[in-house]
Amino acid sequence: MMKKRLHFKRNMRSTLIGAMVILLLVFSLIVSNIGYVTFSNSLEREYSRYTLNIAKTGETLIKADHIDTYLKTGGAGAEYELSKHRMDILCKKMDVNVLYIIKPSADFLSYTSVMNCVNENKVNYTPWEVGHEEQSGEDYIEIYKDMYAGKIDNAKVLRTKNLNGAPPHITTLLALKGEDGAIKGIFCVQTPMEELVRGRVSYLTYIAISMFITALFVSITAAMYLTKQIVNPITTIKDEAKRFAVQNTQAEEQTLENLSRIEEIVSLADSIQVMESDTLKYIDNLTAATSERERIGTELGIAAQIQTGLVPSFSRGFPERTDLALCASMTPAKEVGGDFYDYYMLDDDHVALVMADVSGKGIPAALFMMVTKILIKENAKISGHTPAQVLEFVNNRIVANNPADMFVTVWLGFLELSTGKLIAANAGHDDPAIYRKGGSFEICKSRHGLVIGAMDGVPYKNFEITLNKGDKFFLYTDGLPEATDANETLLTLDGMLELLNAGKDKTPEELLRSISEGVDRFVGDAPQFDDLTMLCLELKETGSAKKLEVEATGDNLEKVMAFVDSVLEENDCSPKSQMQIDLAVEEIYVNIANYAYGDDTGTAEISVSVEAGELTIVFKDSGTPYNPLKKEDPDTSLSAEERQIGGLGIFLVKKNMDDVAYEYNNGQNIMTIKKKL
Amino acid sequence: MTITANRENEKLTLAVSGRVDTISAPELEKAIMENTDGVTELVLDLADMPYTSSAGLRVLLKAQKLMNTKGSMKLIHVGEDVMEILDMTGFAEIMDIE
Repeated sequence: MMKKRLHFKRNMRSTLIGAMVILLLVFSLIVSNIGYVTFSNSLEREYSRYTLNIAKTGETLIKADHIDTYLKTGGAGAEYELSKHRMDILCKKMDVNVLYIIKPSADFLSYTSVMNCVNENKVNYTPWEVGHEEQSGEDYIEIYKDMYAGKIDNAKVLRTKNLNGAPPHITTLLALKGEDGAIKGIFCVQTPMEELVRGRVSYLTYIAISMFITALFVSITAAMYLTKQIVNPITTIKDEAKRFAVQNTQAEEQTLENLSRIEEIVSLADSIQVMESDTLKYIDNLTAATSERERIGTELGIAAQIQTGLVPSFSRGFPERTDLALCASMTPAKEVGGDFYDYYMLDDDHVALVMADVSGKGIPAALFMMVTKILIKENAKISGHTPAQVLEFVNNRIVANNPADMFVTVWLGFLELSTGKLIAANAGHDDPAIYRKGGSFEICKSRHGLVIGAMDGVPYKNFEITLNKGDKFFLYTDGLPEATDANETLLTLDGMLELLNAGKDKTPEELLRSISEGVDRFVGDAPQFDDLTMLCLELKETGSAKKLEVEATGDNLEKVMAFVDSVLEENDCSPKSQMQIDLAVEEIYVNIANYAYGDDTGTAEISVSVEAGELTIVFKDSGTPYNPLKKEDPDTSLSAEERQIGGLGIFLVKKNMDDVAYEYNNGQNIMTIKKKL
Repeated sequence: MTITANRENEKLTLAVSGRVDTISAPELEKAIMENTDGVTELVLDLADMPYTSSAGLRVLLKAQKLMNTKGSMKLIHVGEDVMEILDMTGFAEIMDIE
């Protein structure tokens, strides 16, 4: 993180500074250039003026009108001598290279020297004698022309190339005019360039150095200023924003206060602070809302668990009895449902069957459902009460305590197992379906009393039917015929009967499963709208189940084993099967003895029955709810060192028995094992 | 259930006679744990053991783990039904059975 930060700062700063330095360099280059050119020009002008003044001075030393004469006489005469002498002095004193006077030819392509003064201290030309002819330099021809045309009076020529051995020089030319104003000849002054060049070079050097120093100084100052005023505050803001993005917590130091006097930076810092505090507030609200939702979800989960304990989603009733087979299921639409079923023995020959549907779903319905269930059971257990009496009692009770104006439909029946006589009463509930052996499922209609909870003092009536051995009885709630598919088509009673009859020869358990599957197929992708609750009972041939009740302690293991073994012997069980069954019984019983009641003791009930060559043993205890089947099978491939001590027992039970099932119902752990003998 | 012990220097043979279940397994465990000082070879003769529950299996596992640190253990004369259990639980793979 540190490395990155430095890198970034260098970037912003170096970008700014780099840009600044480059701009400064460009600026100084431009400025120096302008300065140099200006200086150069002015220096040249000055130079020209100087040389021109020399020429003008020289002009006074010679009589222009006499130039032609001098040429003719070859420079004889005192006048010429005097001019030349003075000219020589001028040449030396003025520190020029050469002073000379020429006369161009008519076509200007050549010229004749009239006078020629060379400064030996500067150059070592050979002085031209009078009348010496030379070719005109290219640059000069135009000048001669223009001078003779009267266009210009003076001119300047720079010679840096084609020097013929001479150093770079400037020649200034001045037209010599006679009395009549006509041009008679040209006065030339040649000065060396070195001075000019040297002057310019030293100027350039001076400028470059001072520019560089200034640029350096300025960029350092600017860098410091920018860093302090802009880079640092922005970096601080960026750091804080980054920290917040990662940590989502209040900053410990208020680094964004008093960061700068620059308006935009202050504004940015303020905005970041506002965003931070808003985000934190939002996070807090969200956290509170989420934990509230989780709490509700947890409580709902617990409610669902409680309900499943009271109304198991799938329940096999009385597995130890052979005179009836009973199975019930409840699948809630939401986590907790409002439907319920119930069944219990009123005495050894009478079983109570309950099917009910609370208006509504969810927790309110579930609460109401539990109250109703308990009231019904408590009242049904009072001997002598008929279903109608129970419903009347329950109805009055509920109406008295019904602030939410809920109601529940109930079907309640008492079945006498020995005779098959069924007495039932209906409080606004769906009519059950009945299957007579050899026939088909049909709806069994009866009079409907009013739904429970609507009004007090409502009467209910009993009705009777008789079930024969092999008949099946099917209770349900309206969630079944009203199951809806994606096109909003209902299953209807007919659809339900169809499903029932498709499985009419199945056992109650198989029948419920096949109806469940049938409904799933019918409904398809559509969501489950209502609780799905069913109960199926089959009246069977009377069989006998042997029952043993013992205190669940290890000491009683032998007794339990002897009990089971006696039944096995009666049924000619093979020794191997007997061993396997003994093993299973020992495992399950020892589990109960050791764990069901913790430090206390309680009872365990073992029922054994054989029907059609199949052995069923049911273990019941009222201890801590515990499902031994939940334990994972041990990994039999591990080495001795890796093997865990536990889990073997139930693993062997599962392997050796044909069917193993666990259910927690009405406060009892119920473990059922089956094996074909 | 009875246990007969036969000690030959570092070899100890325990013959188990009777059913090994939750009640009797602790006895077997005790017999093994208390008599294996200086034993590098433990032999369990199960000819007369017609039945064992998971309690017995636990004792066998404990014994195997113990003997793995001291030397070796083997089971001999294992009956057919008991062998099936040992196979099913994977014990046959981790124990020496003759």
